[in-house]
Amino acid sequence: MHELSIAMSILDIVRDACAEEGCSRVEKVRVRIGKASGIMADSLLFSFDCARSGAAAGATLEIEEVPVGGHCRDCASDFTVEEKYVLECPLCGGPAFTIDSGHELEVVDLEVDD
Amino acid sequence: MKVKLVKKILAANDRIAEANRRLLSDAEVFSLNLMSAPGAGKTTLLSRTIGALGGKLRFGVIEGDIQGTHDAEVISAHGVPVVQINTEGACHLDANMINEILPQLPLEEIDVLVVENVGNLVCPAEFDVGEDAKVMLLSITEGDDKPLKYPLMFQKSEALIINKIDLVPHLDVSLEKIRRDAQGLNPKLRIFEVSCKSGEGMEAWYGWLQGRKESGSLHGAL
Ligand SMILES: Nc1nc2c(ncn2[C@@H]2O[C@H](COP(=O)(O)OP(=O)(O)OP(=O)(O)O)[C@@H](O)[C@H]2O)c(=O)[nH]1
Ligand SMILES: [Mg+2]
Ligand SMILES: [Zn+2]
Repeated sequence: MHELSIAMSILDIVRDACAEEGCSRVEKVRVRIGKASGIMADSLLFSFDCARSGAAAGATLEIEEVPVGGHCRDCASDFTVEEKYVLECPLCGGPAFTIDSGHELEVVDLEVDD
Repeated sequence: MKVKLVKKILAANDRIAEANRRLLSDAEVFSLNLMSAPGAGKTTLLSRTIGALGGKLRFGVIEGDIQGTHDAEVISAHGVPVVQINTEGACHLDANMINEILPQLPLEEIDVLVVENVGNLVCPAEFDVGEDAKVMLLSITEGDDKPLKYPLMFQKSEALIINKIDLVPHLDVSLEKIRRDAQGLNPKLRIFEVSCKSGEGMEAWYGWLQGRKESGSLHGAL
């Protein structure tokens, strides 16, 4: 539900990067969004299109959705799941797991005109 | 041309949250971020808690609402300093809103600052505002499927207050399922079952809050 403020934060990061790199037109912004982050990709795309301006006025947002994944110490395996959460190791059912991915909210890179 | 960044989208918010945390800890204020869906009982919990502990701890409150000053008026009747933030549509408080309003509070006269977040079970969990502890409420009228539907807030909170247990006889809801799923999502979660209406179960919460205030900010505890 707070995709608009996330879109604004992305655009702030893009604006700062453009000022630093001296680029005037951004074609594409690539972000990684974890499935457990609470952010809906569709809604973020819509918000980004509404909010984009300046050097990013014509930029498209490319979202890489990162599934929830982790590692189990009992069966020594890595796993990813469809759900937004893990209650037990999906492979052995054990409780001794750590979650390593699925909460990402990152700007990865920009494609700019030069 | 490609410009590599790899920047956390919420880095700016987190920086301001860190500044708030430093300001509050320098003033020896312990802060709580109180979160829940609309109507779960945040303001009622706060009223009762201030009523019960107000003689021992000096409270201060920041009320976050999309609109209006109703909750701030309820709290202000207890004679504690309270400021209102209207988010004008935003579904959560962020660190900057807190940063801008902190100068309006007499921090040297406050032991425990409670931030009542905007009623919303999703967004507030994402935004650090500089609090020492996140506490959430779930009222049983919301249903026992909520932990697995909205896992993030359960994962980020230190304590879960299950409220409105006076309504158990009228509802088809399993407290056991709420507990089990919430604990599954967050094994360290402290869970309290209370009725802010009858007062049942509140002593355990008061005890935890006083103890937690003494330990202050547990950096990296979560
Ligand atoms: N039966 C019952 N009702 C309660 C209890 N706690 C709160 N309520 C009622 O629930 C309603 C909402 O309570 P509030 O304290 O305003 O909830 P809130 O979370 O502050 O609501 P928002 O700030 O609007 O998100 C009120 O009518 C309260 O009287 C409880 O333990 N049992
Ligand atoms: Mg309220
Ligand atoms: Zn396993």
